[in-house]
Amino acid sequence: MKFGTMLRDIWGSVFKKPATQRYPFERLEAPDQFRGTLHWTPGKCNGCCLCMKDCPSNAIELITIDKKNKQFVMRYHADRCTYCAQCVRNCRLECLGMAHDEWESAGLKREDFVVNYGTEADIATLLAKHSPTDAGEPTASGAGPGGGSTATP
Amino acid sequence: MSTEIALQQAEQLLSTFAKGTAKPEANRLDVTIEGSDLTAAATALQKAHWGYLSALTGVDLGPEEGAIEALYHFCEGAAITTFRVRIPRIGGALPSLQTLYPNAMFYERELLEMFGVTVTGLADTSHLFLPDGWPDGVYPLLKDANAQAAAERASASEPPEMGRQGDKFIVPIGPQHPALKEPGHFEFGVDGELVTSAKVRLGYVHRGIERATQERNYVQNLYLVERVCGICSHSHANAYALAVEKLAGVQVTPRAQAIREMVACLERIHSHLLWLGVAAHEAGFETLFMYSWRDREVIMDLLERWTGNRVNYSANVLGGVKFDVSPEIAAEIRKGMDTIDERTRHYLHVTMDDTSFLQRSRGIGTISQAEADHLGVVGPVARASGVRRDIRTEAPYGGYAQFPVKIVVDAAGDLAARFKVRMEEIFESTRVIRAILDGLPEGELTVKMPRRIPAGEAISRFEAPRGELFYYVKSNGTDMPERVKIRTPSICNWISVLVKAVGSQLADVPPLLAGIDPCFSCNDRMITINRPGRGGQVLTWEDLRRQAASHTRR
Amino acid sequence: MRALINLLFFPGGLFLIVLALAYEYADRKLIARFENRIGPRWFQTLADIVKLLVKEEITPATAHPVLFGVLPVVAMSGALTAALYVPLLGFRPALSFPGDLVVTLYLLSLLTMSIGMAGWNSTSRFTMVGATRSLTQLFSYEAPFMLALLGPAVVARSWQISEIVATNKGVWILLTQPFGFLVALIGLMGKLEMPPFDAPKAETEIVAGALTEYSGRGLGLFHLGKEIELLVGLTLIASLYMGGIANPLEFFVKTLVLLGILCTFHSILTRLRIDQTVGLWWRYGAVVVLAQWLVLIVWKGIVA
Repeated sequence: MKFGTMLRDIWGSVFKKPATQRYPFERLEAPDQFRGTLHWTPGKCNGCCLCMKDCPSNAIELITIDKKNKQFVMRYHADRCTYCAQCVRNCRLECLGMAHDEWESAGLKREDFVVNYGTEADIATLLAKHSPTDAGEPTASGAGPGGGSTATP
Repeated sequence: MSTEIALQQAEQLLSTFAKGTAKPEANRLDVTIEGSDLTAAATALQKAHWGYLSALTGVDLGPEEGAIEALYHFCEGAAITTFRVRIPRIGGALPSLQTLYPNAMFYERELLEMFGVTVTGLADTSHLFLPDGWPDGVYPLLKDANAQAAAERASASEPPEMGRQGDKFIVPIGPQHPALKEPGHFEFGVDGELVTSAKVRLGYVHRGIERATQERNYVQNLYLVERVCGICSHSHANAYALAVEKLAGVQVTPRAQAIREMVACLERIHSHLLWLGVAAHEAGFETLFMYSWRDREVIMDLLERWTGNRVNYSANVLGGVKFDVSPEIAAEIRKGMDTIDERTRHYLHVTMDDTSFLQRSRGIGTISQAEADHLGVVGPVARASGVRRDIRTEAPYGGYAQFPVKIVVDAAGDLAARFKVRMEEIFESTRVIRAILDGLPEGELTVKMPRRIPAGEAISRFEAPRGELFYYVKSNGTDMPERVKIRTPSICNWISVLVKAVGSQLADVPPLLAGIDPCFSCNDRMITINRPGRGGQVLTWEDLRRQAASHTRR
Repeated sequence: MRALINLLFFPGGLFLIVLALAYEYADRKLIARFENRIGPRWFQTLADIVKLLVKEEITPATAHPVLFGVLPVVAMSGALTAALYVPLLGFRPALSFPGDLVVTLYLLSLLTMSIGMAGWNSTSRFTMVGATRSLTQLFSYEAPFMLALLGPAVVARSWQISEIVATNKGVWILLTQPFGFLVALIGLMGKLEMPPFDAPKAETEIVAGALTEYSGRGLGLFHLGKEIELLVGLTLIASLYMGGIANPLEFFVKTLVLLGILCTFHSILTRLRIDQTVGLWWRYGAVVVLAQWLVLIVWKGIVA
C-alpha cells in the first residue's frame, strides 16, 4: 500500500522556480538550427526554379523581370510555407536561408504574409506592372504541383 | 520461423486458390485470387495461424482498365503475403472478412467509401472517414473523381441525434470533449455506470492526404506525409522514404540510417512521455501529467536544437538525412538521456507502485494474448498482452540491423501493463541512442536519388511509437506516385477499445481510450474541400454566438 | 439593523465573498506550485466571478427554466447562511442557537443537493451522469463526515457551535480523536468534490458533470457557493478540532495549514471511480468513525 509517491516532487516544487517560461516577458533564444522565415538573396540566383519545383505547398514564386540579366523577384508566401527547408537544400547556389530568430510571425491580414524579395528596382518594376494578387487565392501563374516554370503573371 | 520458410508455407496453403503467384521482393509473396475465393483463402491462412491482416489497399487501375485491385496484406514476422483481387470498377463486390479478422471492418469500410466497392456481409456500412453530408456516388480515390464537384454538392453534416435507443442511455464522447485531444466521436450506451455498447465515428480531421499524394511529386510528398501526424511525423517520413528508396533501388549510407534511427528513438521517447501525461490526466492524476510534460521538454528542446523544429523535424530527404551529429549536439543529447532515464525511473515507480494510481489502471481493460492476436492489435498494446509483435525485431529496417532493439513484452494485458511497456521502451530508446552516439558509422549523409522513380510496388513497415505503420507505394515511372497507401497503427487498435469498453465502467472508458495511444490525425488522412473562388464564409462574432446558442436555446 | 449589516457586509455577504475568493486563490496557487507551475495572479478569482456574472446565460431547451434559474440562488443562499453560524476570523458567529451544528451541515448539503437537482434538470447526458454521481457521493461521505464533526460536540456536551468552541478552547481535539479528524478532513474533500473525490465533475469523462449546461450567472453563483463551502468547512474543522480560534491571525494560520494538507492530498492521489468512492467510505470511513465514537462514548461514560 503505497501512497504519495509524488510527494517529494510536489513539496520540492514549492521551493523551486516554476517551470513556466513567462513569455513574452522572458523570451528564450531559438537555436541556430531553427527553421524560421525564408530569406533570399537576389544577386546569386540564376532562375533554375528547383526551389519552386519541390516546395510542398507552393509557397515560392519566382517572377522573371529579365532572364538574361538575371533579374528576378521571389514572392514568398509565408502563410503557405511549411518551413521544411527543402528549397534551401535544392538551391545549388546557396541563395536561400532560413532565419533562426524570426519565428514570431503572426499577423491579422493575409496580405501581410506575402513577401517580395529582390532588389529595390526589381520590386518596384513588378509592383508597377501588376497589382498584388488576391488574398488567399493561388495565382494561375504560380507553379503547379510537381513541376513549374518561371512565372509571368 | 524465417521469412523464407514462412513464405513457402503461405504458398502451400494458398496453392488451391492462387491464380498466379509472384515474388516482387525477397520477403513478399503476391497471390492473385478471385473474389469468390477470398474468404476461403483467408480462412486457410488463419487456421494455420499465419500472420495477421495488416492492411487493405485499394488501387484504382483507371477507367480504361475498368477494374479496381484490392490488395489484402497479411504479415507474419518479416514475410508479407498479398492477395491481389481484381474487381470491376462499377458494381464490384467483395465478401467481408469481418468474422475472421475483426479489424477488417475498418479497412473494408474505407474501401467502400473511397472506391465504391460493395462489401457484402459488413455489419456497419456507414461512412468511416467521409463526412455524413458527402454526396452519394462520389468516391474520392477513383482516378476520375471530381472532388471539387463533390464539394459543391456536399451538404452540411447534422450533429448526430442523441437520444435514447430503447433502454439505452447514450453518453457521447467527442468530437469536442476534454477527454479527447483530437476530435473523434464515440457513443457509449450506458446503464448507470456500466457501458453496454460502443460505437466510433472517425474522420473529423480527415484531410485528403492519400489523394493529395497522387498530385505531388515524390519530394513534395515526403513533407506531406510527415504532416499526417505531429507526434509520429518522423515515422511517416521514414516509412515513406524507405518505400521510395526501395523502388529506386537506392541504399542509404549507414551513417544516415543511424541518424534516422536516432531521431526515431527521440521521437519515441517524447511520444511515450506525452502519452504518460495524457493517460494520467484521463485517470485524474493531474500532477503526473504536469511533471511528465515538463520533462518531455528536455527532448523537445534537444530536437529543436538538433533538427531545427520541435515537431515535423524534416530530418529526411529521399536518399539520406539533412544534417549531421556535431560533438556539441552529441554531448547535449547524452545529458538529456541521463535526465530522461532518471525521471522515467521515477515515473515507472509512480505508475507501478502508487496504490491510488493502480486502482485506476490495474485490471482495467485486460486483453488476453489470444484476444490480442484475434483482434489484430499492434504496438505497445499488443506487446502489453504478451504478443511479440515489433517490426524493429521481426523485420529490422534501416539502422536496426546494426543497432538492434530488445523487444519489451508484458503478459498482464491490462492498462498498468501498457504503462510498463511504454516506460521500458523509453529506457530501451535511451540505451540505443547512447549506443548510436558511441558507434556512429562514418560516411556521407546522402546518396543520389533519381527524380523519376522506376515503376513498381514497394511495401515498407515501420514501428511508430503507436505500433506498426504500413506504407504501400506504387510508382509508374514518372516523378509523381501512382498510389500511396498509409495504414496507421491507431486504426488497428480501435477495435480493442470498442470490444473492451462494453462491460466496463464509464469512468474507465477515457483511460481505456487513452491506453491505445490514439492518434486521430494518423487515422484520418483523407478529405479535401478547398473551394477556391467561393471566397468562404465570414462569420461575425454575432453569427458565431447565435449559431452556438441555437442548438440549446429554448 | 445589526442583522442587516451582518447579512450583507460583515461577517456575511460581501466580506464572506471576498474571503472565499481569497481562499480559492490560495487553493489554486498552492496546487499550481505543487505542479511546478506559476498559477493565477491575485485578482484572478475575482476576475473569474465577474466574468461569469456578466456572461449570457443560455437555458437548455428541455430544462425547466424557473428551476434552472432558481437553483443557483438556492445553492448560494445555503452556503451563505451556513457561514453565519461558524466563527469566521475567530469572531463570535453572527447567529447562534442550540443545534446549529447540524443545521450548518444540512445547509452545506443543500448546496450539493441543488447541484444534483440542477444536473437532473438540465437533461443533458453529462449532467445526468454527473448529478447521479454527485448524489451518490453525498450519500457515501455524509454520514461519516457528520459523525466525525459531532465528535467534539460529544466532548463539549452541546450541539451549538459557539458553545463547542468556547468549551473546547485551547484543547486540541485532533490529538485525542485523530481518526475523527482524519475522517472529517477527507470528508471535507468529498463534500467539496476535490480530487480524489471529483468523480461527479470528472472533466475527462463527463465534461463538467452536473453543471455542464450552466454558463454565466448560474455557473458564477454555483462556483461562488462552492468556494464559500470551502471556507466554511475549513473554519469548522479548524475551530472544532484545532482548539478554537482566538484571533484572526490564528484563523488564517490554522485554516491555511488545513488547506495545505487538503491540497497535498489533492496532488498526490488519482481520481477515484464513483464505486471506489462509495466502497471506500462505507467500508473504511464509516467503520473508522464508528470505532472512534465507540471509544468516545465509552470514555465519556466511564471516565468523565
